[in-house]
Amino acid sequence: MNMATDKRKSHNGAAKIPHGIAGIVSLIIPGLGQLIIGEVSRGFILFSSMLSIIVMFIWRIELLAHLQHGIILKFTKALSLKPVFIISMCIGIAGLWLWTAWDAYRIKKIPGYNRLKIFILVITVFFLLGYQIGEINPYKMVTKFPETLKPLSRVLWPWKAAFTHKTDTLSAKAAILSPCGKDTPPPKTQALPDKPYIIADPTCGKLSTMDKDYHLIPGTTLTIKGGNFAPNADTEIWWVDPIGNKFRIRQNGEYIHIKTDSKGSFSMKVIMPYRLMPPSQEGKQIHHIEAIQETQRPGIVINDPLKLAVSRMVETIFMGMIATLFGILFAIPVSFLAARNLMSGSWITKVIYYLTRTIINIIRSIEPLIWALIAVVWVGLGPFAGIIALTFHSVAALTKLYSEAIESIDPGPIEAIKATGANHLQIIIHAVIPQMIPPFISFSIYRWDINVRMSTVIGLVGGGGIGFILIQYIRLLDYRAAGVAVWFIAITVAILDYVSSEIRKRII
Amino acid sequence: MLSIKNLGKVYDDGTRALRDVSFDVEDGEFLIIIGLSGSGKSTLLRCINRLVEPTEGHIIWNGTDITTADSKGLRETRRKIGMVFQHFNLVKRSSVLKNVLAGRLGYTAPALSLINKFSDRDVKRAYEVLERAGILNQAHKRADELSGGQQQRVGISRALMQDPEIILADEPVASLDPVLAHSTLSYLEKINQEQKITVLCSLHYLDLVQRYATKVIGLRDGRLVYEGSGDDIRKMTDAEFKQIYGEDAERVHAGPETH
Repeated sequence: MNMATDKRKSHNGAAKIPHGIAGIVSLIIPGLGQLIIGEVSRGFILFSSMLSIIVMFIWRIELLAHLQHGIILKFTKALSLKPVFIISMCIGIAGLWLWTAWDAYRIKKIPGYNRLKIFILVITVFFLLGYQIGEINPYKMVTKFPETLKPLSRVLWPWKAAFTHKTDTLSAKAAILSPCGKDTPPPKTQALPDKPYIIADPTCGKLSTMDKDYHLIPGTTLTIKGGNFAPNADTEIWWVDPIGNKFRIRQNGEYIHIKTDSKGSFSMKVIMPYRLMPPSQEGKQIHHIEAIQETQRPGIVINDPLKLAVSRMVETIFMGMIATLFGILFAIPVSFLAARNLMSGSWITKVIYYLTRTIINIIRSIEPLIWALIAVVWVGLGPFAGIIALTFHSVAALTKLYSEAIESIDPGPIEAIKATGANHLQIIIHAVIPQMIPPFISFSIYRWDINVRMSTVIGLVGGGGIGFILIQYIRLLDYRAAGVAVWFIAITVAILDYVSSEIRKRII
Repeated sequence: MLSIKNLGKVYDDGTRALRDVSFDVEDGEFLIIIGLSGSGKSTLLRCINRLVEPTEGHIIWNGTDITTADSKGLRETRRKIGMVFQHFNLVKRSSVLKNVLAGRLGYTAPALSLINKFSDRDVKRAYEVLERAGILNQAHKRADELSGGQQQRVGISRALMQDPEIILADEPVASLDPVLAHSTLSYLEKINQEQKITVLCSLHYLDLVQRYATKVIGLRDGRLVYEGSGDDIRKMTDAEFKQIYGEDAERVHAGPETH
């Protein structure tokens, strides 16, 4: 007690207010108690934390129950939707409120009072809010994870989309008249000695139709015999209608196919499929049934996604290079205007310095993706828009780096070269430039590295490069093709990262 | 002979670095300037090759006044005065050879130096100078890869490339440890004795001063407060010492001699 009294005395004025009153005042308005006993900043921090917590809590309730009217209805609706969150927040706020009062009562009374505890509680409540605002849902994350496996595996191992085997196609057709009767049916095909063939029997029939309840009424069943195909190989059965539309026949929801025997022959029954012919189709209706066999043969075909990824990756790298080059060309002169040591001469140069710095900082703070959106409006879709966007950002970033390199130049060598009797030009060539070249090269390579990485994403907003096809494949849900692009980005960035860091290591 | 007459320097911010400093330096002298930090030693040395423009007085060298020389005359004077610095002032990222060759810039046609080219004779000389400094095997290394003592030898080699008649050394051993301090100073002494190059050197450690000086001047607050021969300094009393360095000064030693 003695110590507490001593401590109270040391805080003159404010200490006259009893602890009890401070506690009660803080119970009415959190933080006010702390304020009146002289803990001004603590009082303000507690008050504003309480206020923002309560405001945000009300906002979340409003979001959860925006259809309800009246405070009680809103609260009960929110409670029914997110019981754990609402209850824990209520407990947290109430606890915090009481603790604030307790804190005001105790802070001056107890010597060596732990002043940190209450802020830990405040932060805890804030994180509880943040958890809800961030819509964090670990349950969903775990239970829905299997759904990602398929696209993920396709992205991670996309090479089926990149390469396929070369194939040989064997096929044979037979003509079928539909319906029978009016015209003479086509003659039966003959078994050929050396080429694949199929024979349909009969060569005319009725197509499947739909009744008015959309139930399928099966058409004529054809017997199909085939020969001279590849032995023991899968054979697909296709239908070609008189207009030339070709499709695989389904029966009971499955594509029909058959395996040939060891001599390459097969025999099967096929129901003529449902086909709605346009009224304009007049005259003899000759359909075809076709058996197609695709067999792999040695050799690999490079598919479009791979070809596209390679060509777009090249485009991306060049975009990065050209943007870096333009960036360097513009940044070198501007960086001299942004170097404090060169521009501190008179007030005019100082104004130029601050002006340049301000503009450069504004340009730099706008992301290349946003510049790309503007450039796409300006010059249209394609790599040029991406180059403009990257150049803008590069100029700003490089100017900052270069001007800092100029600012950090060592005056010692300049003095030393001057002392040898060198003229101004010789001083610049032998003392200034040797000091500037290494950081200039280093920063430029670093920027090239950044620009190539950036140009992979700049395509997402239409700036050309590999991002352009990546976003298309993702939107088409073609995860394999997207995976090919992702692989190329990863490989290029990794190589570039290594190369640029190696070069920079050698220069600095 | 180098005569400093009534030399004074006031910096733009009003600091008086030198007041009425006058002394003579005979050819072949090893003159050491002592004094506290801020006493004007660096300013004095830099006034001699006009890296700092003196505001008063004259510097007469072999009959000509350095302080009134035009820019062409100044460059011709500077190339006969080598300079060695406390922090070596090498271009760190350039090779040792390039740094040493920079000493020839005063003699090189600007057009040649524009393409970073030196004559074969200069290059051959640079190797000879490096060999004498004992760092020939470091010639193609980057300057900042060398140790402090080696870097100072590069600095001295650069000065020697100028065929100097005077070498100004501004605290040449202040960044080096005591052992290297001795070897660097004895290298300067060797140059002084063998090539008859006048050396003007500012130093901190009194025992180094006593070991190497043939003449000593002391500065305090920009004023010349002591002038004596090498023998005088070796017999210097604590009273004289405190006159230069102030009442609170104590002698410190720079460590053992290496030879």
